[in-house]
Amino acid sequence: MDLQKLKTKPRKAARTAPAADGLKVVGKSVLRVDGWEKIKGAAQYTDDLQFGPGLLYAALVESPHAHARIKSLDTSAAEKLGGVVKVVTGRNFTQKFGLYMNDRYVFATDIVRFVGEQVAAVVATDPKIALRGAALVKVEYEELPAVMDPVKALEKDSPLVHPDLGTYSHVPWFFPKPGTNIAHWRKIRKGDLEKGFKEADLVLEDTYYVPRYAHCAIETHSAIGLYDASGRLTMWTSSQSPFTQRHVFAETLKSFGLSHKDVRVISTYIGGGFGGKAGVTMEIIAAALAIAVPGRPIKLLWNRAQEFYNTYQRLGVTAKIKMGVTKAGKITALDFKLHWDAGAYVEYGANVVNAAGLSASGPYRVDNISVDSMCTYTNLPPCGAYRGFGYSEFLFGLESHITRMATQLGLDPVEFRKKNAIKEGDILPYGAHMNPNGIREAIEKVEKEIKWGVKEKSKDPRKAIGKALVCFWKSPAMPPNASSSAFLKFNEDGSVNILVSGMEIGQGLLTVMAQVAGEVLALPVTKIRVETPDTDRNPYEWQTVGSHVTWGCGNAVKRAALEARERIFDLVQRVHCLDKSTLYLEDECVRCRTKPDFSLPFRDFVINGIQADDHTFKGGPIMGSGVFMPEFASAIGDPETGQGGHPNVHYTTGSAGIILEVDRETGKMKIKKVALAVDCGKAINPDLVKGQVVGGLLQGFATVLYEDMRYNEKGRLLNPNFSDYKIPTVMDMPEVVVPIIIEVPQPDGPFGARGVGEHTMIPCAPLIANAVADALGVRIKSMPVTKEKVALAAKAARK
Amino acid sequence: MPITAEFEYVKPKDMEEVLHVFSLYKEKARALAGGTDLVVHLKEGLAKPEVVVDLKAVPELAGFALRDNTLRLGALATFTDLIEAPVIKAKFPLLWEAALTVASTGVRNRATVAGNICSAVPSADSAPALAVYDAVVLTRSLGGARRVPVADWFTGPKRTALRPDEIVEAVELRLPEKKHAGCYMKLSRYEGEDLAQGGIGVLVFADHTYRVAACALGPKPGRCPLTEAALNGKKLGDKTLQAAKEALLREISPITDIRSSKEYRLHMAQIMLGRALESASARLLGKGPKYGAENIC
Repeated sequence: MDLQKLKTKPRKAARTAPAADGLKVVGKSVLRVDGWEKIKGAAQYTDDLQFGPGLLYAALVESPHAHARIKSLDTSAAEKLGGVVKVVTGRNFTQKFGLYMNDRYVFATDIVRFVGEQVAAVVATDPKIALRGAALVKVEYEELPAVMDPVKALEKDSPLVHPDLGTYSHVPWFFPKPGTNIAHWRKIRKGDLEKGFKEADLVLEDTYYVPRYAHCAIETHSAIGLYDASGRLTMWTSSQSPFTQRHVFAETLKSFGLSHKDVRVISTYIGGGFGGKAGVTMEIIAAALAIAVPGRPIKLLWNRAQEFYNTYQRLGVTAKIKMGVTKAGKITALDFKLHWDAGAYVEYGANVVNAAGLSASGPYRVDNISVDSMCTYTNLPPCGAYRGFGYSEFLFGLESHITRMATQLGLDPVEFRKKNAIKEGDILPYGAHMNPNGIREAIEKVEKEIKWGVKEKSKDPRKAIGKALVCFWKSPAMPPNASSSAFLKFNEDGSVNILVSGMEIGQGLLTVMAQVAGEVLALPVTKIRVETPDTDRNPYEWQTVGSHVTWGCGNAVKRAALEARERIFDLVQRVHCLDKSTLYLEDECVRCRTKPDFSLPFRDFVINGIQADDHTFKGGPIMGSGVFMPEFASAIGDPETGQGGHPNVHYTTGSAGIILEVDRETGKMKIKKVALAVDCGKAINPDLVKGQVVGGLLQGFATVLYEDMRYNEKGRLLNPNFSDYKIPTVMDMPEVVVPIIIEVPQPDGPFGARGVGEHTMIPCAPLIANAVADALGVRIKSMPVTKEKVALAAKAARK
Repeated sequence: MPITAEFEYVKPKDMEEVLHVFSLYKEKARALAGGTDLVVHLKEGLAKPEVVVDLKAVPELAGFALRDNTLRLGALATFTDLIEAPVIKAKFPLLWEAALTVASTGVRNRATVAGNICSAVPSADSAPALAVYDAVVLTRSLGGARRVPVADWFTGPKRTALRPDEIVEAVELRLPEKKHAGCYMKLSRYEGEDLAQGGIGVLVFADHTYRVAACALGPKPGRCPLTEAALNGKKLGDKTLQAAKEALLREISPITDIRSSKEYRLHMAQIMLGRALESASARLLGKGPKYGAENIC
């Protein structure tokens, strides 16, 4: 294919013919603004950055134990090794850090709490020397009893992972229980549970188990730190959260005299995040090392094993569900207990527990509900954000349970879901009202796509075909005051640079921001440049997580564009005496409804102003800035019931359906077709939304079919590699993927848009479990639903 | 990830030099052909050789050739070499089919058949094919050459009959004289590259004789004589197949590990045997799935 031809020839969808809604740039599948840079290999990732011969490298000394006391630490042999610059330990840095809870150590001081935890770092002139030095550091440990299971961690005689929990600072919406391993207990109590169960014709109680998962971004974490003589700390990081990182670095290291203005975070493109590069994990080590060895850049690059065991993992959960349903198919009561294995440090993971607890009803109206979402410390690696943020985990049990109950009552599981699906204005588990949504339309479209109700037979007598349809929802999990901002600057030729700190993590944020501004300013995206941020130069963004940046950052960019447009109109009104209300922008010009001949190209005035009749110039560089904060949100509710706040800004809903072929003997599963309908409010770029659907489904199906983190009894991860932790290849794609875009506008979203990034992987686990049950009549209640489990369950059922 | 261990690296131009190094260093020397195992082991500190002997410049070890119905695979022949050779597909289709299941394209471009049997993991995909074709491993040291039948080659998990001062020169396979077809069934966790959790290779001959071999279903890969005895001389039918499956269970000894449980391996060994025999029999009649298709369970 001639790439240059492709570049110059606009695709059909990219033409700017006005759509029925009058939009010319938004709603079009324009080519990605970062596409050519990435195709040509010009895009830089953190590991590509060059720092010259002065660059130092760090290697870690890691705990071999899940729980132990450090008895002694001898760095002398390492320090004597030629090329070693410094050995840094918890003696140099005793600080704790954390995003929502201050519980994680820069270096273990006296206790190690998981296998792989950093105990010391060796800084050297060469990566090999650093590794050899690390091998020379002698650490003596006294092993302590460890706890690996979130249910056992609640027992009275369980070892305590954090005996000092009571002294830790945390956000006001967490409720830790000092003296136990409970780091946070999110409770929801609404309606009358007992009455609800009495009204039910069927009450079903069961437990579902979900293990931990790893993000497996192809680019591992990396960070370079430089603390220079001016007292400035510059960090180059592979991150979804440059500003949050800056804040955590500044807060954690303030005893060294740093203030926020002194800390600069520069984020390049990142090779996959999926939540794993949100917040701060290994980057704090690079920051500390920079402080310890001032004047020279120091690089810390995770290897694949470290990427598995010392970043964040997805939390495991043991989910106990008791649900009551009437014969008519109404959910009358839900008692949901979620025991989360959050690992040794929960500074981020506890908010996953919180988010899941608030929304554990799923996208259904449940008047009588009790949720106990418990964040439990264990001596396993720390857990945190992972695409879906707790929703995939609770939905596995919930959507499995709903299908089982509908089937037991002789009800159609799809009709059951339609009946209970949440509507605009329904009361949410925490008392606020549900936003406009298209879940019903999503169910109907998916139902049609998979020919629900039509039983299919495989051509191969050894195989059976099963179908399933499930629903999903998710809200951005963010502090109520998480905000976004944008700067927008015109250039001499009428082109525009936009500065935001939302991160391009592959999802297409830069393109979408260009489309939002382009729509307001009548500019094609080819005239707009948006790049990854530098916190010194780009304005604030909380984090690129929670599927919120199209919405939040998009609102900020739209406001910046509107402000710039307002300045243009003000100027033209002032100089040309045309009424502002008659002016509009079209084809990179200012035009006037009442004066068809008037057309002023941007390039004629956006920097150098407009020359008035007296030969003076009016105006000057056109710029805009925009800020967005969801001013209606509040995280504060009653700790015992969860009622009273407005913690979630809105939900994106949808539905997915599958046609699955299962080999009765081997258990091997083939996805013949999957359809996913998601209500994204407005698809700013439909191709990018479809990309999210395809990618999310592939990632989600991997977690249910074969991915699985396995630990031994000593807390050591047995598969920190791709030999035994399998992530999908192109050969594992479903045969047919049908993305369906639903557009019920989000009133406060840019052009009606709401987020879509995480949602597409959430329904995968119950889809498979329910389709297997439909095909073979066996129910798998623990993830992953491997072919081994399916084959052995089918074999047992045949006996 | 850098290799932190220090070792000498030599790249001899002829066999004599290679054999001299091995006679001097013995266990402390490691041969480098594809390096797909060795380099990983060096990085992880699992291999700590004093000298790494790169064989890639030794002309006698390169390539493969079929002469007088004997296929000689040089020690440097990669899986991709085999996959891309029409003669292998035509004459040794089971070896071709097994080669296709090894790891991924990138690994197959480097990894050698000789390396696969020298690493000698129980899951070696090439092993069942070599076993049913009665391969012979040709080794050489300064003391002379040996011909080791593949049945005697594997002595345990990651252990072989190779002596410390020897290297593998080539692997020889005799083309079976009778009309036959084959099938390699592999148990894998997904469609991408994977180590076999179990593998069954079969050759079915027109005169109702059979050869069956397994990998990843015991400490070492190899032939399954009890299974062959249950099959030989009989047409494939439900009764014969059942007897063969029962025989197979008596001669395999799979374990439970992170990749699979013993229970599933035992279950799948029988299923794979049945399906492999079915496919190979169909192929013998010019029917059934193409080689390389429908053989991943």
